[in-house]
Amino acid sequence: MDEMSVIWLRVAVALYSLGLLHAILTLVRRRDHLFRVALGAFSIGAVFHFVSIIEEGLRNNRCPIGNLYETLSMGAFLIVILFLFIHWRYKVESISVFIFPLVFVMALVSTMGNPVSAWANPLVRNVWLTVHIVLVLLGIAALLFTAVASLLYLFQERELKNKKPRKFYYRLPALGTLDDLISRSMALGFVLMTLAVIAASTWAFIEHKTAWIYQPAIAISFITWGIYMALVFLRTAAGWRGKKAAIMTVTVLGFSALTWAAHARLGLLLKR
Amino acid sequence: MKLLVTGVSHKTAPVEVRECLAFREETLRPALADLKAREGVVEAVILSTCNRVEVIVTTEDSADPVAIVDGFLADLKGLSPDTIAPHVFRHEGREAIHHLFRVAASLDSMVIGEPQILGQLKNAYAAAKDSGAICGWLDGLLARAFNVAKRVRSETGIGQMAVSISYAAVELARKIFGSLNHRTVMIVGAGKMSELAARHLRRSGASHVFVTNRTHERAIEMAKLFQGTPVEYTRFVGMLPEVDIVIASSGAPHYILRKDEMSRVISARRNKPMFLIDIAVPRNIEPAVNEVDNVFLYDIDDLQEVVNANLRERMKEADHAESLVDEEVERMMARLKVAEVTPTIVGLQGQLEQIRASELEKMRRKLGPLTPEQEQALEALTRGIVNKIAHGPISELRNHAGNPEGAHVVAFIRKAFHLQD
Repeated sequence: MDEMSVIWLRVAVALYSLGLLHAILTLVRRRDHLFRVALGAFSIGAVFHFVSIIEEGLRNNRCPIGNLYETLSMGAFLIVILFLFIHWRYKVESISVFIFPLVFVMALVSTMGNPVSAWANPLVRNVWLTVHIVLVLLGIAALLFTAVASLLYLFQERELKNKKPRKFYYRLPALGTLDDLISRSMALGFVLMTLAVIAASTWAFIEHKTAWIYQPAIAISFITWGIYMALVFLRTAAGWRGKKAAIMTVTVLGFSALTWAAHARLGLLLKR
Repeated sequence: MKLLVTGVSHKTAPVEVRECLAFREETLRPALADLKAREGVVEAVILSTCNRVEVIVTTEDSADPVAIVDGFLADLKGLSPDTIAPHVFRHEGREAIHHLFRVAASLDSMVIGEPQILGQLKNAYAAAKDSGAICGWLDGLLARAFNVAKRVRSETGIGQMAVSISYAAVELARKIFGSLNHRTVMIVGAGKMSELAARHLRRSGASHVFVTNRTHERAIEMAKLFQGTPVEYTRFVGMLPEVDIVIASSGAPHYILRKDEMSRVISARRNKPMFLIDIAVPRNIEPAVNEVDNVFLYDIDDLQEVVNANLRERMKEADHAESLVDEEVERMMARLKVAEVTPTIVGLQGQLEQIRASELEKMRRKLGPLTPEQEQALEALTRGIVNKIAHGPISELRNHAGNPEGAHVVAFIRKAFHLQD
């Protein structure tokens, strides 16, 4: 990609990061935080993003969808425009927790089309990777918690629907309590996973230059993260509970296991 | 000292007998004073509730507690022992302690696990304390009984499950929502039953009550009771998305809420759970509404079913509670046994030590100054002899403590060793 275009795109990503911050705070604290600021930054970010795309198009004299990075950038930009339009027209704030992280990660990845210099210091490389692994493990722990609470929710819900109290009814916590637990652990897990994805993609970009994005293991990771994001969205915006949410949570957990398996040899990279 | 509990309860006597024996609050203190003043009585407590009347006394060993209490009841209530005999239960000693612990723990109550009895027992204790009818031993026993009750309540689930329809509704609401704070309630149809349920919900934290009724004036009237908001009957379905708990008890002859309506309400609420309580007969809410996700519909029979299940669960917990009570009685008996023989053991040891010390002193005077080694040897020798002599009687005392012949053993040893009373 063109140097100038990437610089504009990086400015846009920096602005989009406020959107990510809004999403994280909203999920963790369960109240809207910084939405006005994030929306403002998002709109200004969109302008820089637009400039970046135009620059790239003019430089190559073609529509900038020639490679994966350009396409991702274009895709992210279109999502931003669509979101801004929908928000202007219908005032739906709730989808922001879903859109902001998505756009941020897409735009971040698309800035990685140009290789940068190699690791300045092997220690930084190792610490960076360790941070990623720890974040993922914490994220999986939170996800496991969510999955167990979701199953307990299913049991208790069935007891309450059947109207014939048995052991589970007396021993399990209230539905509301479990729901609260699920929301909190799910949000925490998502925040940890998102930070892990950011840490991992920047690490892989520096490590493997531009080729990293074409690895199948990376694709699985992004798919897992995407499904997790869909779960968060469906729960917070559409209020999915009970069976649907439980199935979805277990699916995310399954994909996490798959991702883990795909990266089973990741630790070996540390020893090099 | 002897302990006797004499009484009648809902298990042994019909209400006609219980009401004859009951003590009203204002007659309780004079009655306690009368009982305490009788010869041989050491301490007295009277527990009088609508389900039981119990007279608890401790007397001197020489007195006959049964005769004393019979005389007391005959004098105060004009009932001869023969007329009430078929209805009266009497427990002495260990049995009495067991009975008191069970009563305090609400295991002997009509509704097992109901919490009022403990308060009533505490009141009886306070009354006895105020009128000076308690002075030490019963004090300790009742304090122990209160602790047992507390332990049973905290270690078993005996008092946890609701056993009335309106409380069962509140309990279910808690099982669905966790906390009831900031939950809103809609009453459809103003009746006594819905008022009661709403009152419980309000007390448990529900933040706001809406009331709707076909006659709007009645809705306004009832809304005032809960500082709630009356809602026009034609508009109430439109308000349901904002409501967490619905109590339906209108006299409508047909369903006023149907499945398709509730599906729409739930999507408008973004799937937040809703609890519908239908206590109307004929029912107000279509039963198929329960099939809608995140809706929990209970009619009057369902609530009764929950109450029955709760009662069964309480029974199971009661078994556990009984074994706790048995354990506590054992502990109490062990403590009493020790308390019974301890003064004699201490006295015996003191007596022997005194003999040893005085004989040693005599010997020193005869022998003149001794070397520290000789002093040590004499000390060890005499101590050994005294301990060997004391061993037999002390283990006899410990072995017989708490047995019927224990008192004889104590008396015999005191006499044999010239221990002063």
